Amino acid sequence: MAKKGNLDLAPSKKDKIGIGQIILLIMLFAYTVFCAAPIWVTLVSAFADEKWIASNGFSFWPGKFSMAGMNSVLRYGKQLATSYGVTIFVTVVGTFFGLLIMSMYAYAISRKEFYLSRFLSIFLIIPMLFNGGQLSGYIIFTQNYHLKDSLLLLILPLCVTTMNVIILRTYIANSIPNELMEAAKIDGAGEYRTFFQITLPLLKPSLAAVGFMMATAYWNDWQNALLYIDSANKKPLQLLLINIQKSIEMLLNNKSLPATVLAALGGSVPQYSATMSTVLVVVGPIIIAYPFFQKYFVKGLTVGSVKG
Amino acid sequence: MKVKAFFENTWKHRAHVVMALPVFLVMFFIFYVPMAGLVMAFKKFDYTLGIWKSPWCGLENFKVLVASKAQFISMTKNTVMYYIIFTALGTFLNVVLAIAIDQCVFKKCSKVMQTVMIVPVFISYAAVQFVVYAFLNSSTGILVNMMGIKTRFYSTARTWPTILTIVKMWNSVGYGSVLYMSVLAGIDTELYEAAQIDGANKWQQIWHITLPSLIPMITVMLLLSVGNIMRSDTGLFYQVTRNSGALYSTTQVIDSYVLNAIFKNSNFGFTAATSFFQSVVGLLLMLLSNGLVRKIAPENSLF
Repeated sequence: MAKKGNLDLAPSKKDKIGIGQIILLIMLFAYTVFCAAPIWVTLVSAFADEKWIASNGFSFWPGKFSMAGMNSVLRYGKQLATSYGVTIFVTVVGTFFGLLIMSMYAYAISRKEFYLSRFLSIFLIIPMLFNGGQLSGYIIFTQNYHLKDSLLLLILPLCVTTMNVIILRTYIANSIPNELMEAAKIDGAGEYRTFFQITLPLLKPSLAAVGFMMATAYWNDWQNALLYIDSANKKPLQLLLINIQKSIEMLLNNKSLPATVLAALGGSVPQYSATMSTVLVVVGPIIIAYPFFQKYFVKGLTVGSVKG
Repeated sequence: MKVKAFFENTWKHRAHVVMALPVFLVMFFIFYVPMAGLVMAFKKFDYTLGIWKSPWCGLENFKVLVASKAQFISMTKNTVMYYIIFTALGTFLNVVLAIAIDQCVFKKCSKVMQTVMIVPVFISYAAVQFVVYAFLNSSTGILVNMMGIKTRFYSTARTWPTILTIVKMWNSVGYGSVLYMSVLAGIDTELYEAAQIDGANKWQQIWHITLPSLIPMITVMLLLSVGNIMRSDTGLFYQVTRNSGALYSTTQVIDSYVLNAIFKNSNFGFTAATSFFQSVVGLLLMLLSNGLVRKIAPENSLF
């Protein structure tokens, strides 16, 4: 993997651009369109006129645009702001806490002269082979730990994964010269100082890759929220999305909607452009952040795949 | 004095013990204790007593499982069926896409396209669900509007294996191909040059150089995924189908069944027995597949 630029390999510049290349490009483009189309629909529907969609249906180019959908996101106003806050808090705290403790663990088990490191490696691997499943986890977290409706259950279950520790350990073993850490010790640096001032800074590419994947997992986690969170002020964005869907379904099933409620909703149940606007607001940040991290996580995955 | 040497070593490395402690504790409480909780498969679970104090009931829960085997078999069948479709098709498409992007000479173009292809993996299923609805719903959906397909998807179970496969591929193929591309990037360019000099065309180069170099990675990825045969991407089956009862015959997998059972607070005996089965089968398959990896490519085995 000494190659720079990662992908520019097989075909050299001398290759003629033949008909085959054009066909290949068209096929890749077709697949790109397939990937982008649903995102495009979300985007244009978010800015489309609610009534236009209701009568003409979703489309790739709505006939009438309006900001009403985006404005109605503000209807969730305070709850949306709270949910944003919760999601950002959980994502930031979880990712940094997880990265810190996982890299410390990875560092400890990568020390060969440390006898316990073998035991700790096995301890790390076992959850990958065997796990208690959702039901037993649910009962133990809620009944034995009494953590129902606690943000801890949004943070702790996702902050350590075996695979991430393995990726970090592999990076320490392969890409950080042991001599560097030995030298630091000879110069009188303690274990902690060696870790925080030598290892951790050199671990940065791997931390960026793992960190971004963790942040995505936190941002998109709906399952723990749905299982454990009840109170409105602890609701993350994904749970808000699920609640919106549930309440729309309820409104639609309830034929005899009081006129006052209908009037407050602007004449009809806001189910098209309004929900798409919300979806956009929820997924937007991760999609915008991702291109900046792309180079790291291609690298990070490479590190993860070439193990030991 | 092995014991003494061990303690001396541990004391000498007490800093490492301290560093390992936080993850150790998190894993212990989040992963290990629920493993012990699986004993509830052998207990008559009473919510007020909790897992540890509920009375033992032997194999009664498994008898219930056998008695209502139609449901158990149906969801196990779905779980395994989706695993096979997703893994086979997914691996195939990952490899095809990786080779296609690697072969494309318009580097700038293919880079941008790849960026777009990876985006779907970052969209949560809670959000994907709305997007799928925009395509499929029977009054305003794009399929009925633009193509005149009048199927009422949300009540037609037989269409869902196809729909879920398309959604899953849309979601994961672009991202999955990155791993294979990193392998392709490691192939020595001289191999291709030598092949060109020998008069090999593009297809022959792909067949004789590119594919063989991907085989180890494909084998390893397949074998490692075998351990997850009983687990599914819960969001796909719970969210994207809107958890609609009419679709259960083709969309209910073990994980989504367990999730529903938790919400309905019911049938814990049956569910616990199912979970136990799921975990044990997962463990056995994982050991088996790791054993195979160790035979074929020892450097890639997990342990």
